[in-house]
Amino acid sequence: MPKQMAELLKHEKQSPTGAQTEIEVAGLSKYFGKRKVLTKISFELEKGGFLSLFGPNGAGKTTLVKILSTLVAPSEGTVSVAGLDPYKNSAAIRAKIGLISHSPLLYLDLSAEENLKFYGAMYGVDNLDARIDELLEQVELDHRRYDLVRTFSKGMTQRLAIARALLHRPSVLFLDEPHTGLDPHAVDIFESLLDTIRQDHTFVMITHNIERGLALCSKAMILYNGQIAFYQNKADLDKDMFNEIYRQKVKGEH
Amino acid sequence: MAAGKQVFAIVKKDVLAELRTKEMVIAMLLFVILAMVVFSQAFGVILNDLDRVGGGLLWVAFLFMSMLGLNRSFVHEKDEGCLEGLLMSPIDRPLIFFGKMLGNLLFLSIVELFAVPIFFVLFRLELGASMAGIFLATIFLSNVGIASVGTLLSTISINTKTRDLMLPILFLPVIIPLLIAAVSATGGIMSGEELTEVYRSMRFIAVYDIIFLLVAYALYDYVISE
Repeated sequence: MPKQMAELLKHEKQSPTGAQTEIEVAGLSKYFGKRKVLTKISFELEKGGFLSLFGPNGAGKTTLVKILSTLVAPSEGTVSVAGLDPYKNSAAIRAKIGLISHSPLLYLDLSAEENLKFYGAMYGVDNLDARIDELLEQVELDHRRYDLVRTFSKGMTQRLAIARALLHRPSVLFLDEPHTGLDPHAVDIFESLLDTIRQDHTFVMITHNIERGLALCSKAMILYNGQIAFYQNKADLDKDMFNEIYRQKVKGEH
Repeated sequence: MAAGKQVFAIVKKDVLAELRTKEMVIAMLLFVILAMVVFSQAFGVILNDLDRVGGGLLWVAFLFMSMLGLNRSFVHEKDEGCLEGLLMSPIDRPLIFFGKMLGNLLFLSIVELFAVPIFFVLFRLELGASMAGIFLATIFLSNVGIASVGTLLSTISINTKTRDLMLPILFLPVIIPLLIAAVSATGGIMSGEELTEVYRSMRFIAVYDIIFLLVAYALYDYVISE
């Protein structure tokens, strides 16, 4: 553990605003065979920051998140999450990140509790039973803890997916279209959970929902054809320019 | 200790899912019984030395039955992106292999525990109590090899479009050495051959198992990652 801490401190980096940089991407490109999915992507996100990632389908948003979450290796460029290289310290990084995607990443033939116990064992979560009680209560599923996930509605499954993603107390959360399929009640629970953990986490969220994406973010980015078409801090955000680029790139209007 | 808990959690998860769905073990058991019935009807009346060829018939049925199960073993992981969830956890990749392999080994062994007595009844074969232990040990040793190679190759095939076709194409050529040794050992036991020959085949199977466990341990990170 002390060695890991030393590694962390060695790589700790400050953004121009003085905040510690949590995610740093420089010159990142990704090819699948001859197809170029991402081209020279560079950005930084400070600790506690919230990046909302917009773009049309096929723009490379999910590939970018998969690279940041160690699931896919980059073809070129460097990536650093929590000061660590995902491909040299992949296990250390995976312990610090969580993913909420439109796929729940849950086993349908296991109960809610069995799913959380399984992932708890994978992450080596301390006091697992107490943590499961706490999370199931937060996502309002404690009354369904012994029921198979197969019997859950889409909204309930997604709420359990949120509990799964938060189980190991990650410091960085990747949200891949997290609102997809959620009913209004589930959206309320999700957003109130986000509010609760907002201060202690760094977020990267893929979304098509401009209103929610811009309301939550500290930085906004539009990806188009694997390249950054727009990237600004929320404080400096030129909303007209954002809307114009979004309309052109995402909606295909000219 | 943590590694042991992670491997155990994967096996437990697969067993629980199988207890709920019963789709893998029941399908494998039905297939192997049907295959043995077909073999007994096709060859039982025309072959005089069934104790010699019985080993071959038994392993042909077991091999195709195991492919049926191995093809299914990663389906739950692909459902709802669970493999992605597993890969995002800080578990060492080879431990995923050992967890999945032990689950497959367990399911194969359970099915064969029911299938072997049925085989002896259908083919009217007999085995002394002293030889039954060696016979079962041979089957278990061979299962370790089948589960190791099968788990490794089904991980590769799960990410291909033609995964149902891909597994047999990859699996059969690699498993042939083990198949030859397993047929020789079990055939030898059934026909009352010298035990030194049987033990030689069993040693070969054990070496094959160790080699493929080490190969899987070394390659699994690469195989499962992208």
